[in-house]
Amino acid sequence: MGKIFRYECRRLLLNKFFLGIMAALLFYGWQVLSGVTILGVSHTAPFSPWSFGDYLSRMLPLLWIGILFFLTFFTSPGARRTAVLTAATPVTSRAYALARCAAALTGGALLVLLCMGEAAVFYGRMFGWYNWGSLVLPSLVTLLPPLVFALGSGWQMGQRRHCLLYVWMAVPFLLIALPLPEALGLWNGSFFTVYPLTLGTLDPEFALSIPVTIAQLFLLVLGAFLLAQNSKSAEQPIEMHKLPVDK
Amino acid sequence: MKTLKLYPLELGRLLRSRLTWLVMALTALSPAVGLVLYKPAVSTTMNSLYLANPAIAGGVVGSILFGLLAIFELDRACRSRVDILTDAVVSPLTTALTRLLALLTSAVLTAALTMLIWFPISAGWIGSVFDGVDYILAYLLLMGLALLLSILAAASAYQFTRRADLSVVLFVAFCALSLTVWAGNWQLCWLNPCVWALSDDFSNFRVFRSVGYMRLTWLAALSGVWTLSWLCVRQNGKGAFGSIARSARRVYRPAVALALLVCSGMAYAAQPFIDHSNPDLTVMSFYEIPYAEGVTFLSRSAQVFPDTETGTVTGRAAYRFQNTSGQEQSISFGIDPGYGVSNVQANGKDVPFTVSSYQEYNEALLEVTIPAEETVELTMEYSGFPQETLPTMQGGKELSGEYLCLENASFSPRLLNVLPGENGYPAHLEITLPDAMIAVPFGASQAEVVAEHENGTKTWHWEDNSASDILYAGDYVREDIEAGGMSIEFYYGRKHQAVMEEAKAVEAVKAVVNYCTRHYGKLSFGTGETLKLIQSRVAGGAYAAGGASLLDEADFTIANLGDTSKGAVPGETFIHELVHQWWGLGNMFDVTDSASPWSAEGLTVYTTYRIVKELYGEAYAKEHYIDQWQQAVDDYYLNFYVRHPAYLDMLPEAERLNISNSLSSVRQYSEMPLKILKAERLVGGEEAMDQILHDLFNRELDPMYPYLTYQEFLDACGLTEEELNLG
Amino acid sequence: MEINIQEVGMTYPSGKQALKGLNLELKSPSLIGLLGPNGAGKSTLMKLLVAALLPTEGNILVDGAPLARAERKLKASLGYLPQDFGLFDELTVTQFLDYMAALKGLGDSKAAIQKAIGAVNLEEKAKAKIRTLSGGQRQRVGIAQALLGDPPFLIFDEPTVGLDPEERIHFRNLFSRTAQERLVLLSTHIIEDVQSVCDQIVVIHQGRIRFAGTPERLIQSAEGHVGVFYEREAVQEEGLHITARVNTSQGVRCRAVADDLPPFAQAEEPTLEDAYLYLISGEAAQ
Repeated sequence: MGKIFRYECRRLLLNKFFLGIMAALLFYGWQVLSGVTILGVSHTAPFSPWSFGDYLSRMLPLLWIGILFFLTFFTSPGARRTAVLTAATPVTSRAYALARCAAALTGGALLVLLCMGEAAVFYGRMFGWYNWGSLVLPSLVTLLPPLVFALGSGWQMGQRRHCLLYVWMAVPFLLIALPLPEALGLWNGSFFTVYPLTLGTLDPEFALSIPVTIAQLFLLVLGAFLLAQNSKSAEQPIEMHKLPVDK
Repeated sequence: MKTLKLYPLELGRLLRSRLTWLVMALTALSPAVGLVLYKPAVSTTMNSLYLANPAIAGGVVGSILFGLLAIFELDRACRSRVDILTDAVVSPLTTALTRLLALLTSAVLTAALTMLIWFPISAGWIGSVFDGVDYILAYLLLMGLALLLSILAAASAYQFTRRADLSVVLFVAFCALSLTVWAGNWQLCWLNPCVWALSDDFSNFRVFRSVGYMRLTWLAALSGVWTLSWLCVRQNGKGAFGSIARSARRVYRPAVALALLVCSGMAYAAQPFIDHSNPDLTVMSFYEIPYAEGVTFLSRSAQVFPDTETGTVTGRAAYRFQNTSGQEQSISFGIDPGYGVSNVQANGKDVPFTVSSYQEYNEALLEVTIPAEETVELTMEYSGFPQETLPTMQGGKELSGEYLCLENASFSPRLLNVLPGENGYPAHLEITLPDAMIAVPFGASQAEVVAEHENGTKTWHWEDNSASDILYAGDYVREDIEAGGMSIEFYYGRKHQAVMEEAKAVEAVKAVVNYCTRHYGKLSFGTGETLKLIQSRVAGGAYAAGGASLLDEADFTIANLGDTSKGAVPGETFIHELVHQWWGLGNMFDVTDSASPWSAEGLTVYTTYRIVKELYGEAYAKEHYIDQWQQAVDDYYLNFYVRHPAYLDMLPEAERLNISNSLSSVRQYSEMPLKILKAERLVGGEEAMDQILHDLFNRELDPMYPYLTYQEFLDACGLTEEELNLG
Repeated sequence: MEINIQEVGMTYPSGKQALKGLNLELKSPSLIGLLGPNGAGKSTLMKLLVAALLPTEGNILVDGAPLARAERKLKASLGYLPQDFGLFDELTVTQFLDYMAALKGLGDSKAAIQKAIGAVNLEEKAKAKIRTLSGGQRQRVGIAQALLGDPPFLIFDEPTVGLDPEERIHFRNLFSRTAQERLVLLSTHIIEDVQSVCDQIVVIHQGRIRFAGTPERLIQSAEGHVGVFYEREAVQEEGLHITARVNTSQGVRCRAVADDLPPFAQAEEPTLEDAYLYLISGEAAQ
């Protein structure tokens, strides 16, 4: 499956789309860093885990869209026509689906690294700050659950109807507009501006409240579960999805 | 020609698509988002709440939907492989142009539909101050043009990339930039224009002009980009560059694209609305220009002719000096950065002059060399479009047949470096206005009509004694009030009469004036006992000077009246500005030191709090004043850059100034009132503080330095600076 | 390789019955031509054979085992070219075949790819991006991926569509050579292709098998039912199924099939096309 993974990565990453989304991410990211992150959030430094988390949560909608677009490579009408050939091969659909998910995840990870690299350059240039180790935890907590969920849910939707993926892309924007409860604060970034103020100390260490931890874990588990479901449902031939189960 | 033939067919096809109708329907409903979720206009005027916000929100949502529709429709031909058939009979360039025209038409139809649907709703909600012209302009500029821009942007993205997915990402990122990081940059926020308020009582042409200018700049830019992308439309099996090379054989095509882009770039660079004042608000170099040696002021005059159709000003100014130095002297003026100066003559002869490109506090520096003659009459002409300083709060320089405000250098060049003569700065001023407008000089002067012209205008004349002038003019109603031993002239917009009467505005004025007179003493002005209260167009703040205070229209909106928690006096900004008559006139406080929290604002904000406490009760005052000061001060002390100024110094200048400016006002408006509140506690309570303030207000003035200092305040309280430290 | 189709029926969720009561035995080595008009059920049968669909009635046995259990085994020994398929446009021909080889689990993919590319005459385009290929070249890539790894069971659905006459002959020969050791199922509308290479013919019409046997047997069944006449001599054309009209110097010469030839028609030796049309027209008349 290593070869399939490599080829899928090549398909996802060596094209105009990936270059375009990289350019869009870099431009948008720099605007966020120099316009918003530079002020710092909740009285913390611009390079605190909180401010960095706020930056990542602002980048999340574009990353989310990026991941879902990667999935459209597998679910588009053109890709479905190729699936007639691949479905006639002996490879298990589960392994095939996993290789493709891994490729989409790799693409997402590269985009994430790009955002983080840009922030590192910004911090270095503006403040001469290079202590990146402290930013690993907020990165994982902010990005991993939603991106795994995007992959799991997106795959599920794309298998059913390709156009649902495009509708699903609007979700983070809707979450930004909606007033969410505190536990879901990481879903629209409000956590980073609200929670540190409740900790009662100046420049608090990065920490998560229990409801937020549960919400993120739930999202991660749900995303992983949906991914597992995907590979299970992928065991069926493509055309069979459209047919009633006989016998 | 082919395009014209195909256009109705393409439009018909587009309008037969269910998706198009869905997008049109959602767009027509989208202004509702501006009532609930997305409210960029922060003012509480009825037009801001029920016209600006729905129109902007409709523009944002509709634009995103139409952008996505454009990508979907352009990709549809490729997806369904119809392009193979159509390209065989029609040039792909013609098809692309036809599709664009059809999409633009559907957007125009949608904007018209939206206007029809929301007209009765908006008219009902906005009530007596609803204005049809405002309504049409708001929906056209704030919403309609946004739809066209988004279609151009999305179509360009698709034509460049030929990929629906990439186009969606690029388009969404372009929208997100406008909605977030560019939201504060009035020229860049193409999707959501910087409209913070629309006036109910006066016209909004300045704001609409500014939005129109921004839209046209982007329209030129995106039309140029679209034309470039149009040249990229793939044909003859060639790639993007091959297609460009082929399409560009007709030279007018790239020439049009280039011309549009150049026009847009020039429009961006040469925008006439916002000045280029030094962002560092601590720099006041115009006040440091040395006085011209041996030159004293004799008199000045100005004739100003505002053009209410175009929003421009033309004027003539004359200054008489005595030059005893026996040498040529350089005289400095502050002039509105939007004005051009011409015909500068001294004693009838042309003299050299320069206008600086450096600007500060909404003024450019005009320097004129006067000859070495004993008496010099300097005349000059000026004209142009008055510029503003705050791009996110435009509208202050509104100039129409309903309202105008010409402040200082916008009225006539402001003299900077000539000492007053024996009579001070005597001035004879005139302005010619449409019939319906009343001229109200800001200050003690009274204007009167000296000539009526056949073209329906009147010339108003008044005299003043100052180096600069502020004039308000509008379709005003005047009410005369007696309170605190003064005659108060209360001017407010005619459209607002019913609202003012319902708000019992006159009673509110009396309540505040009586409070201040009772606690601090009677006001005394140099030229009599008259105080003018002038309702200004919504400005988000106001100011006061000797004998006059402004009253922001937003303080007395229908929405505010409905808020019963605010008791008898709805407008707290208005209280604040009226209190400035006691604390804040030119002779009460020196020019603010940016390093100190002491300024006119501290005592004014404190007194406003006391009045609000008396009128609305302790709980309300605590929640809306003390708690908010405390919050702001806490935030200030905890701010990362306040705690670690070394990091602020590391930043590039633009970022550094941006941050430091936002921090400095907290000290004056929140820290100082808290210190005074602490002093009140330490001196024994409100009554003791009232007595101290009463004594300070009525103290014997030192003519050499008449200003009230922080030290005087501390001495009067018997406290030290350290005792008032917070924390 | 042996495939048994037993009483197989297929009804789509829309209610359309594509196949009914199909019985067929496919054994290697053999090259079987699958004929039938549009919508007869040929493509549905092929999808059933590659397990892209499951039959709603009956069973398919692969070497005696039900397809549901032998699916992996079937796919490991299958090369399939569907009528309508897509390719990854962003890959080169070699990369795409390498991708498919990986999916097929081929050990020595390089040699297999070389061989497949050589078999379809695509050496010059081996490094070209698929998006740059013509329709016929894409079709050849499709055939190449089916041939990858020399699978013992090959299914070709309309393989020669879009190919020029020279290429068609090349592929006919290729299929014929391939079928010497394997089971090849060839679905096509081009009777000439079938006549040239197939040793067995299956005719499907309206979801049922109308004929299964050798081409000679099918031709035999039409003997005495094919005739020619000049249009001006035709008193009536009722009951005639005209298969060709040729303008000659003596007038328009018609060729027709019929249950009973009219007196003005002169009997002719039937071709496979005549026999097929006679079979289908007779079915249609019924």
